[in-house]
Amino acid sequence: MLPLNPIVVILHKEPQETKARRYQRILEEHLGLQSLVFEDISYESSLEDCPLDEDEDAFQGLGEEDEEIDQFNDDTFGSGAVDDDWQEAHERLAELEEKLPAAVNEQTGNGERDEMDLLGDHEENLAERLSKMVIENELEDPAIMTAVQTRPVLQPQPGSLNSSIWDGSEVLRRIRGPLLAQEMPAVSVLEYALPQRTPQAPEDDRDLSERALPRRSTSPVIGSPPVRAVPIGTPPKQMAVPSFNQQILCPKPVHVRPPMPPRYPAPYGERMSPNQLCSVPNSSLLGHPFPPSVPPVLSPLQRAQLLGGAQLQPGRMSPSQFARVPGFVGSPLAAAMNPKLLQGRVGQMLPPAPGFRAFFSAPPPATPPPPQQHPPGPGPHLQNLRSQAPMFRPDTTHLHPQHRRLLHQRQQQNRNQHRNLNGAGDRGSHRSSHHDHLRKDPYANLMLQREKDWVSKIQMMQLQSTDPYLDDFYYQNYFEKLEKLSAAEEVQGDGPKKERTKLITPQVAKLEHTYKPVQFEGSLGKLTVSSVNNPRKMIDAVVTSRSEDDETKEKQVRDKRRKTLVIIEKTYSLLLDVEDYERRYLLSLEEERPALMEERKHKICSMYDNLRGKLPGQERPSDDHFVQIMCIRKGKRMVARILPFLSTEQAADILMTTARSLPFLIKKDAQDEVLPCLLSPFSLLVYHLPSVTVTSLLQQLMNLPQSAAAPAPSNPHLTAVLQNKFGLSLLLVVLSRGEDLQSSDPAAESTQNNQWTEVMFTATQELLRIPQAALAKPLSIPTNLVSLFSRYVDRQKLNLLETKLQLVQGIR
Amino acid sequence: ASQHRIFSFFNEKHLVLLRDGRTLIGFLRSIDQFANLVLHQTVERIHVGKKYGDIPRGIFVVRGENVVLLGEIDLEKESDTPLQQVSIEEILEEQRVEQQTRLEAEKLKVQALKDRGLSLPRADTLDEY
Repeated sequence: MLPLNPIVVILHKEPQETKARRYQRILEEHLGLQSLVFEDISYESSLEDCPLDEDEDAFQGLGEEDEEIDQFNDDTFGSGAVDDDWQEAHERLAELEEKLPAAVNEQTGNGERDEMDLLGDHEENLAERLSKMVIENELEDPAIMTAVQTRPVLQPQPGSLNSSIWDGSEVLRRIRGPLLAQEMPAVSVLEYALPQRTPQAPEDDRDLSERALPRRSTSPVIGSPPVRAVPIGTPPKQMAVPSFNQQILCPKPVHVRPPMPPRYPAPYGERMSPNQLCSVPNSSLLGHPFPPSVPPVLSPLQRAQLLGGAQLQPGRMSPSQFARVPGFVGSPLAAAMNPKLLQGRVGQMLPPAPGFRAFFSAPPPATPPPPQQHPPGPGPHLQNLRSQAPMFRPDTTHLHPQHRRLLHQRQQQNRNQHRNLNGAGDRGSHRSSHHDHLRKDPYANLMLQREKDWVSKIQMMQLQSTDPYLDDFYYQNYFEKLEKLSAAEEVQGDGPKKERTKLITPQVAKLEHTYKPVQFEGSLGKLTVSSVNNPRKMIDAVVTSRSEDDETKEKQVRDKRRKTLVIIEKTYSLLLDVEDYERRYLLSLEEERPALMEERKHKICSMYDNLRGKLPGQERPSDDHFVQIMCIRKGKRMVARILPFLSTEQAADILMTTARSLPFLIKKDAQDEVLPCLLSPFSLLVYHLPSVTVTSLLQQLMNLPQSAAAPAPSNPHLTAVLQNKFGLSLLLVVLSRGEDLQSSDPAAESTQNNQWTEVMFTATQELLRIPQAALAKPLSIPTNLVSLFSRYVDRQKLNLLETKLQLVQGIR
Repeated sequence: ASQHRIFSFFNEKHLVLLRDGRTLIGFLRSIDQFANLVLHQTVERIHVGKKYGDIPRGIFVVRGENVVLLGEIDLEKESDTPLQQVSIEEILEEQRVEQQTRLEAEKLKVQALKDRGLSLPRADTLDEY
């Protein structure tokens, strides 16, 4: 008998003393261990505590995740760092299947010894796992949701572990009855596999789910499950955790499995990890050689057999059904064992759930149910259960009624869909029975609804926002537009409204985090820790202005450009605010509205001032400032957006300035080609302008000499204008407007009329002079230009103009 | 709050586009927060021109970072395609041919640039297709 090594259980820093005390007591009592040393290792300094404290409010729901930091993680310190050859072990295990009968008979006598061997070898491993498990139990981990408590027999209570254990073992013993005749390869497996493993004690540290993944060291990442003994990605346990615990804290923790990952088909392993199988108290997989209180910690082979056996008839008994109902796990496993061992027993079926409880509490059935029992046995029951799950309606009262309606519609659809379209074979055929559906696709619902919810919860958490308009502006606007569109459509016609699903993200109230520096008792002063919520200033940057003399010409130019850029940015911010006022107006209360309007007006004024570069004391600001802004691409776009907000005079002023410096701007725009964006607001403006303005505007545009007497030989201004898309389009717009004014108001004042006529004459002359090839293609051609020109030129010239400007439709 | 609508697409046929250009079609069985996917009865579909070929692959576990997009396949519309299905050998051959022509064109291009004294910077080969 090997001496028991003192167990060193490494605990994280526990806020409550009682927990540690309790563990100690339990382990001492039940494990019968002589000495337990609890090392309370606190690696978290108070510094580290600070950020966590701050985040508490925000992340309370995630529980005490800091407890889960594994200081001595396996990757570095334990078996994760050491490779072990699982393949050999697996092969050895596989051989065992042939040798089962012989092995078991041997075991009857060696039970005790084996226990101690196992215990001696694995106790360290065990104890750590035990403590880990108990810790898990206590935390509210979103990943590991507390399962449905469907263990009527066991009545799990965290406090009364003693009773539960013994209860469980009672059941175990009873269940084992009928299976005594069957071979339990478990022990033999261990015995066989262990001797090789003995010298490699450090490797024994393995996580419980026996995946190939080593245990990882993690930090408490918000939104991800805390580190568990099972690796990340494991679906949440579905068994009642207390019942799990009690198994582990058995007095004689034999049957600790050798550290070999199972290499067995995945589909089942995923969904029902061996842990879960373990936790079935009435698991029939316990070898009879063991004393009653054997925990059903399974060896890999056992698990494999479970999984393998259960897999034998996928059509018959869909394992997804197992996953669904925790209570089902026990007996199908028992059933599953049979096929392997008593070749003939196939597809054990279960009595329906009410009878299921009886199954456990009553003496074990003498014989397992006949194998010929048809799947519909559990089918309807499962159907009930399954249909129960989707029938559960979550509280949707907080949702918009339209949204809620849509949600339920979609649920219905999906239910139908799942019923109809699942399965590899018959697609498109509509089968309404769950029964068929399950049979077709045994892998359906590999993911539990709980797991799906968990993942979606994580994703939704990432979308949490205190101000969706700020964080997700484009999405919100897009959906608003869609809604407006559909509302407009609805008004027009009474067709079925196309409902668009909008993701309603969880709204989080804004929390003010004021950083409170940590203070120790008895010390002077406070520690300042830099964290996400309290960033520390690392560099003290001081602005030093340089004197004017030092700067060279280039620098001056560069500075000027930079200043212009800054002005553009400032004005843009104003613009965004102004554009937002409409929404704010709708959201605000009555009293606040005048104030909002005032603000808006004020902002518009300052925008205009920024644009024109108004300096105090100047009667008429120079064009230069504006032109500088217009040289920059962003500036042009900004002007286009600002124009609708300006008053007519202000806008007209802008337009005139543009017209004056148009060739220059055209030249500067050669690379960007952004000027056309201005056409639309300008056109809108022009159609509001009075005749006088239009006349002078035309003059400016074409750079027509004031007097018609001496036409210049060439008009580079006009040429430039005409050669540019924007310029030509603007010109045409102005002409069109002029024509409108003329035609609409024949009795207009003669002075205006005369002016216009004069200008038009000159204009047409100029136009006639320009060769056609030089003309750009305008963005749009107003329709009334033909009539316009017909006033001022004769037929021949009119035709010329028409062809030149392509005024007549169909020429292009 | 349970968000059914997000995960209403389980156990439906899905099409996954990976970063290396592969197209996988299979039944989506499992997903996690990193968009790691488990696809069942997966078929890798190779498209060349108007033809496509399917290679059955079995079960795929795709690491989330390699997923470009994932979409549900409308089974009614699935057969409603102008593309023509061919055998695996044929499509692989087509793919090889296409690859070859592309490489040759690339070579020509590089050569032409070299002749002019320019050189293309070496692209990061992470997303090759």
